[in-house]
Parts: sequence; C-alpha cells; structure tokens
Amino acid sequence: MSGQGYDWVGQDVERVDAVDKVTGAARYTADLKFPRLLHAAVVRSSLPHARLLHVDLGPALSVPGVKAAVCGRDVPFHVGIYLKDQTVFACDRVRYVGDPVAAVAAESPEAAAEAASRIAIDYEPLEPVFDVERGLEPDAPRVHPELGRYECVPWITPEPGTNVCNHLKVRKGDFDAALKRCAHVIENRFAVPQVQHVPLEPHVSVARVDLAGRVEIHTSAQSPFTVRHLLCACFGFKHADVRVIVPHVGGGFGGKAGINLEPIATALALRCDGRPVRVAVDRSEEFYAVVVRQGLQASLTSGVDENGRVIAQKMRYVWDCGAYGGYGVNVVRAAGYTCGGAYAFDHVQGDSIGVYTNRPIGSAYRGFGMQEIHWALESQMDAVAREIGMDPVEFRLRNCLGPGKATVTGQVLDESAGDVATCIRKVACGIGLDVDRTDPSGGGPIRRGRGMACAVKAPAMPNDAASSVILKFCEDATLELSLSGVDIGQGLRTVAAQYAAQALKLPIESVRVHNLPDTHLSPYDWQTVASRQTWATGNAVLRAAEDCKRQLLETAASALGRPADALELDAGCVRDPDSGRSVPLDRLVMGYLFEDGHAVGGPVAACAHFVPEGLLFLDPETSQSKKPVAKWTFGAQGVEISVDTRTGEIRVDRVVACYDVGKVVHPSLIRGQTFGGIVQGLGTGLMEELVLDRTSGRIANATLADYKIPSSLDAPRMEAGFLETPQADGPLGARGVGEHTMIPTPAAIANALVDACGVRVHSMPLTAEKVLAALDAREAGREGGHRGS
Amino acid sequence: MLTTCPERLAFSYLRPGSVDEALAMWAGQARPAFLAGGTDVLPRARREGGIGALIDLKRIPELDRIEQGGDGGLAIGAACTVHRVAVHPLVRERYPVLSACLSQLGSFPIRNRATLAGNICNASPCADGAPALLALEAVLELRAAGGAQRTLSIGDFFRGPGETALRPGELLCRILLPAGSAGARGSYQRLARRRAVDISSVAVLVARLAAGERRHRICLSSVAPTPLRAVEAERVLDAEEPDSVERAAELAMAACAPIDDLRGSAAYRRRMVGALLGRAVDELRSSRQTGVPV
Repeated sequence: MSGQGYDWVGQDVERVDAVDKVTGAARYTADLKFPRLLHAAVVRSSLPHARLLHVDLGPALSVPGVKAAVCGRDVPFHVGIYLKDQTVFACDRVRYVGDPVAAVAAESPEAAAEAASRIAIDYEPLEPVFDVERGLEPDAPRVHPELGRYECVPWITPEPGTNVCNHLKVRKGDFDAALKRCAHVIENRFAVPQVQHVPLEPHVSVARVDLAGRVEIHTSAQSPFTVRHLLCACFGFKHADVRVIVPHVGGGFGGKAGINLEPIATALALRCDGRPVRVAVDRSEEFYAVVVRQGLQASLTSGVDENGRVIAQKMRYVWDCGAYGGYGVNVVRAAGYTCGGAYAFDHVQGDSIGVYTNRPIGSAYRGFGMQEIHWALESQMDAVAREIGMDPVEFRLRNCLGPGKATVTGQVLDESAGDVATCIRKVACGIGLDVDRTDPSGGGPIRRGRGMACAVKAPAMPNDAASSVILKFCEDATLELSLSGVDIGQGLRTVAAQYAAQALKLPIESVRVHNLPDTHLSPYDWQTVASRQTWATGNAVLRAAEDCKRQLLETAASALGRPADALELDAGCVRDPDSGRSVPLDRLVMGYLFEDGHAVGGPVAACAHFVPEGLLFLDPETSQSKKPVAKWTFGAQGVEISVDTRTGEIRVDRVVACYDVGKVVHPSLIRGQTFGGIVQGLGTGLMEELVLDRTSGRIANATLADYKIPSSLDAPRMEAGFLETPQADGPLGARGVGEHTMIPTPAAIANALVDACGVRVHSMPLTAEKVLAALDAREAGREGGHRGS
Repeated sequence: MLTTCPERLAFSYLRPGSVDEALAMWAGQARPAFLAGGTDVLPRARREGGIGALIDLKRIPELDRIEQGGDGGLAIGAACTVHRVAVHPLVRERYPVLSACLSQLGSFPIRNRATLAGNICNASPCADGAPALLALEAVLELRAAGGAQRTLSIGDFFRGPGETALRPGELLCRILLPAGSAGARGSYQRLARRRAVDISSVAVLVARLAAGERRHRICLSSVAPTPLRAVEAERVLDAEEPDSVERAAELAMAACAPIDDLRGSAAYRRRMVGALLGRAVDELRSSRQTGVPV
C-alpha cells in the first residue's frame, strides 16, 4: 500500500485559498484597516520632459489635516533592481507624464488632494523623445545625461552619452559569410506598442515607520524580499528592521515585480511619527503612472538554403524602455539571449537594444519580452516559409531546437530540455493545419484561416535567485508550510501543499499553507516572477520534506530498535517492513516517549532552499554560454479565425495549445493558466495599445472605457495539451509555464490572417482598421501588378 | 498638475414621489440633475466639475411603467431600465427592433441599471438606444414645472454631443412608440473593439416597417455629432432596384460626418457605414435579426 493514494502531484486538489476567495474572506491590501491611517496624494509631472527648477511644498503644509509633504530634495536616493536610474521623486528632471514629483500625507483623501493641488512646481520644458528611432539619433535629447554615473549590475551594459540603457550582442558563427551562401534572403520589420498589465487590483502600499525606526510595509507586490532589499538599498535601513507583508494580491502579471509605490509610502511615513500612510493609484494612473510593457521595433533578416534550413539569421530588437530602465534593462537582456526563439540557427547576429524615451516606464510583463520577440520571429518564420513555397509547419520542424541542437548562445540542449517538435506537430494536427484545406467560405466576405506560432522562454533572473520554505509538524502530525512566493492567482500555495503531502505521504487535508508572505516570519524567496515558483519552491519543498523524513526515521529507529535505513515512511506512520511493526506519526513528530519515561528526538521541522546549479555568465562580446539559463520551456499554439473582409474584423474561433511542462502538477490550474494566457495574448494581439498624445506626452486612453481588454465573449474555444518530458532539475520533473501561455497567440493570429486572406499585418494590435488597410493595399498591389503586366 | 486622489463629489440626494414633486425640486436647487439609472450622471458630473443635487426618478410610480397607449402604441416610462424594456413581452412582440438594439447595449449589469430615457438624454453620438427610436419615429413626452407639457419627435431631440432639445428643468417622462411602427423588423450592425461592453465605433440599423410606402429606415450612430437617419438612402432602399443597396450605402456614407478618435479614423468609419449597411440588408433579407432579444 506504500504511497498509494498519496500521489497528490498531478491531481486536481482543492485550492487552499478557494473558500477564502469564493466567500470574499480573503483580504487584499486595500481591505486592511490601520489605526490612525494617513492618506497620500502623489503629485506627478504633467510634462513629458522638463528640467525641474523648483518645488514649493509650503502651501501644501498649511492645508488643515496635512501631516507631511515630501519631494525629491528630501529623499534624493536612487532605486532600481538592475540599473539604479530612478529616484524616489524626480530631483532635477522629470522624464514622463506621471513622474512622481512630490507627495503629501493627510488625515483624509480630500485634504491630501487639496494640499497636493497647492504644491507649486517650476519647470523648464525640454524637447521630449517619444520613439526609439528619434532616441537613437546622435542629436537626440538625452533622457538620462547622468547614465554613466548610475549603479548597475555587471551584466547590464548601458552606453553613457546616449539613450541606450542596455545593449546585448549575440554573435554566433559568421552571419555575413553564411548569408552569401543562401538561396533566399528575406527581410521584414515588425512592431509592438506599449501595453498595460491591467491587473484587477491596482497598486497600493501602506508604510509605517515606528518611533524606534522599524519599518512595516503592507503592499500589493509579487516579491516581498526584493521590496525589502531594494527599500533598504534606497533608504539605508538595516534589512532586519524592515518587515514587508504581502496580503492576497489581485493580479500582478509582472507589474508588481520589483519595487513600485513602496518608496513613496516610506518617504512619507518617515515624516509621520509612527502613523501608517497609504499610497494608492486609481485605475487611470494604473495605466501610465507605475509601469507598462515596453514597446518593440524589430528588424529580421533570414537567409535560407535550398532545403528550407535557415542558416543565417539577423535580428535587431530595439526596445522602448520609457523613462526608466531599472527593470526593463533585463527584458532587453532576456530578449537578446533568446533572440532566436525556438529555432536552431547556425549563424546569428542578434542585437537587443534598450532605448530611453519620455514615455511611461517599461518593465516586466508576463512573458518578459518573449511575446514581443515571438511576434516578430514567428511572423517572420511564417513569411519565410510562404515565400520559399514551403508549408510553415514543415519549415518550423526543419529549423526548430531539440536535443543535440544548439541555441543562439551555443548551449547544446539535452534530452531533458523539452520537445518543441512534438508540440508543433500536436498543435498543427489539433487546429487542422495538417490536412488539405479549401476555404469553406468559397470566396464570400467571411474568410477563415488557421495559423500557428511557437514559444520558448527561460527564467530571466540572477543566477543565484533562491526560493526557500519551512515545514513544521504539529502535535497531531498535521503539517504547516511557510513560503514567501506570492500566490498571485497561479495557485502556488496549493501546488506547494501538493508536493509536501506527496513527499511525506500525508492526506492533502493535513497540510496547511498558513501565513501569507511576511519577511519577518516566512523564509527568503527572491521574487515571484519568471515562471519560476512551481519549479523553485517545489524543489525547496521536496528538500525540506526529505529532511523531515530523515528526522522521523531517526526517531523511529530509536523507538523500534532498528537502523533508520531499514525503515520506511508510510501513510501516517513509519514502518519496519521486515517485522511489520510501525509507529504512528503523531508519536514521532514531537519526539518519541518510551514506556519507561525517557524521550528521544524532538519537534520535526525543516528549512530548505533551492538555487539552480551550474549557470554561467554570457560572454560579454558574443553572449555565448553553455548554460546561460536554468531551463527552457517550449510550446506552440494554433488558432483558427474568421475575418470579415468588409470590415477587417477578426474573430478568433478556436485556439489549441501544447506545452512541454515536464510534469502536470495540477491539471485544472494549468488549464486555467493556459486559457488565461491565451485570452491575455488575444487582447494584446487584437485590441490593446497605449496611445500617446504627442502634443502633451500624455497617454490618451488611460481609462477602461478607452483601453479595452477582452471580455468573456471574446474568449475563443480553447484546448490545452501538455507533454511531460521531465526537467532534470525540476520537482518531479516540472518546469514553469505561467508566462509562456500568452507568448505565441498574437503571432499565431497574424499567421492565420495570412492563411485566411493573404495579407500580413506587421504591427500589433491587429485592429479591424489595420486589417482592412492591408486588404486594400493588396488590392491596390494586384491592380498595379495587373496594369504592369 | 496630476495628483493621486479620487475626487469625491458632494451633493444632496432627493427622492420625489411624483413628477410634479420632481419638477418642483429642480426649481429649488442649485446645479440640479435628474437621476435615472445613474450610469452616466456621475461620470458627467465629475467631468463638469460637480453637481448640487441629484433628484432620483426611480421611485416615481408613473415613470416606472410600460403600457399601451391610446392609439395602440406603447408608452415607456423614463425610469424603466434598458433590460426591462428589452425583454418586455409587448416590446419583443411589436417592436423587436428596439429589443434587438437594446440587447447590445453595455452588459447585463449596465442594462439592469441604465434607463432607455437616460440613454437618449445623455445624447451620446454612440447611444445604442437612439437608432431604434429614430427608426420607430418615437415621440417624447416632456413636462416642466407648473404643468407645462409638450411632445417632441425623436428626430428633433438630439442637438449635438451631450446636447438635447430639453429646456432647463424639463423632464422626459415617457417615450411613445407609435402604433404605425409596430411590426418593424431590423438588423442592428455594430462595430466595436471587443464583443461586449464597448462603445460602438460605428453602428448602423436598417429597419423595414411591416407595411406602407416608405418602409425602410436607416439609422446611424457613432458617425456624426448626433445619432441620425439617412433619409435619402432609405428612399433608395424603398425602390428595391438591383443596385439599391450599393446606392443606399453611398448615400448613407455621404450623410454621416465622423471624426478621428481612439476608436477609429473618420475615413474608416465612413466606409464602415456602407459595409455595415450591406451586412444589415443581407441579414434582413435572410430574415434573421441580430442581437437575439434576451
């Protein structure tokens, strides 16, 4: 019976937070009540680029009910995760509409707003930079003239004297020479606009600094320990004096990675005599004032031989990082070392370049640059296949990565890396790309089409990023699990409980994931980003469980008078298989009491961590590295669409997804992740774009009335399949997939549009108006061609 | 200067029990506004810098009725929600065009809150309630303090974005659907960025009356300062000649005056008037109707 019935990993167990969330008992940061709470108002720049001449806080302080006002000169400290290019408030320059300039804390929101409106700011307007092309021109205004003086991690390479905040070069083989040998050379350009995460819960942080100088932060964030670390680096606090608590979070999608509103709340709280200060943004500010996803301009050149093998590939990704690149520089880096996507190109010239502009701050967003580069790369692969007259599925199979093949950085994949070729085949079959198809619309106004795209992503994180957990047995052999990974909806706490219950052969109901992340109480975790939590925390849980098991067996060894290695953990007991004797767990978890009164062992508990092994930095000139990242996750999606050629409207009818996840840990949660990712991908593919008013520098559609994300009626029929090629260092073989689910969707839709009506749109989103313009251009081309012949 | 803090509105809230009482309250307040569903009045108050008093019409029994008029038509009270109108048996049976258009307005929560009267008094160029009322040639019953009362054709009601023929203090009490329009069928074609809860970028209603000479109605919204009828195009459809649809589309495109905004360019919108008109006629001829009434 050993182990039977305790294989929780792979089962649809009930979410540990299901009742709390369904009943509304789960409390989010804004639900928390604080005695003597002060309300903050943030004064933000109304200009996209200006010298900040003077900020007069005086009039604000005279408003009744105002407790404190603060601006850049009061806290001239830099903050940022990779490149410290931002200060808590703008000091001598504002760089986007929304840049924090000052803030006040007051007894009521009304008093705070009134005081904020009285703060006088003198600006000297400067020429703004609104796009990367302008930003790269030699005479462009410098968004950060001080770039060379910023503190920065060694693997980010800003170019002082320019607007380039990071530039990663990939050089593999000899691109120029290889290109000369190619039968076909195909070039294309693609574009992606800035978009917003649109989490259900906008950013909110509450800070309190007590009279002894201890700091307590409650915040809607993805990474309590990174908030603590960056806050300490900014203000000079001792880490042990700072407590960061993350209650339930209503969606992050990368927008709550790193550090966001916490420094503003802290700067105010330092001046409020121990009273808590809440900083919140409203929905409109959420769109432009905190962080957004970076924009991309991509140029690709593919050189292909007679057999349909891409032998030379050039990729230039230019990123609109917006006003600050603290986090976004690492998107640039990740896009660089992943520039070839799911393909094995022999000769590669890749450049990923981050450019400052006077737009909202580009930062982490589900996929971390991968959806954007896959938009370009997967559109290009499809276009190349069509141009050389090859089936796009076959073309992908001839060029995709697999065991024994090398990535753009020269990493040769092994058997455990995942199987993209099978994902491609399954998706092609599932969506019907493998059958002979004639358009059933028969030339009518509604055209149907099918297309696919691949996806790959690795966790983009420091090589030593750690996750840790604590397991503690209670007297009745129930188990408490403590972790600092944040359950932002993905189900991390449930998954952690599954691993613990399985490893210790416990009923799932016996495991409690009690406390939400709290840096004073729960163990260290770097960040909840990069699709890394199931993999990293899952490993930490298994290691801690192994330690608990060792303790149980040792105590049982004394109790049974047998060597520990002769015993085994069974359901609810430790058993001696030879004699059949056993000791129930509840007589072991607090130590064993013999009949004569003496005791052995003690409370069973363990703390364990996971840090990936064997990672190597990229070569600074070529980015070659045998193991630049911990793991890859591959997948593909196929879509079926209908296009109304009278209006240009696209309706996505069906999406089929397949990912090689190593191990399906929780079938319902992974389906939910996949369907959610598809719908989010569909939103960015069809309708989402932050529109800049180039006169004022403001975002013109910063409301939910003007910026649309998909509704449930826009969701297509979706099917998800998974492969289980075990990840060598994955917990029971699992690897991450949370972000990957939204990566290929827009490119697959664009490729289906080509299939449906022969036109390719090169810029996201695929609005009806753009599609119709492309159909017009094709008609005009045909007429022109006809006249010419 | 931009600041973080939601502006809170301060105003008095009044709940009259009759139309006369409501009209008298209006006269006694500074910066008053009538409250029906409330889906537009507060955003508008914020935009326009505040409000003095909200006079809630929802508890006035005489405004909360849908009843047959003396001429055999239907009278819809100003406090009736969009959903109630859309699913009312008499509306579905006799004015299915109105039902079809209203079931594409917003979402269930919005339709359960918003009123048809409020939708047209808000006078958005994109009002989904307007095209059907224009097609049915609805008549509006307006009252003012002191017993003043007048009726106005829906065609004379809209004056510009957010502007109507209502005089200060005047209240739209009932929307009258004429008996002669009963039985009209129609197809409401609506372009938006997503399939629900979005303001239309372009909308075209093509309706056909059950009988009569001038049977067709073509109503456009989101393509001019007000919702409008393309009357010349209607006459071309009436003629039912082989190229009627193409010519009607041309005339409807000429009748509109769209602008460039976040939802689309003027050129695209104008062209879509023609495309949607074609789609609507196709649907009418195939004897189906859009927006299956809920």
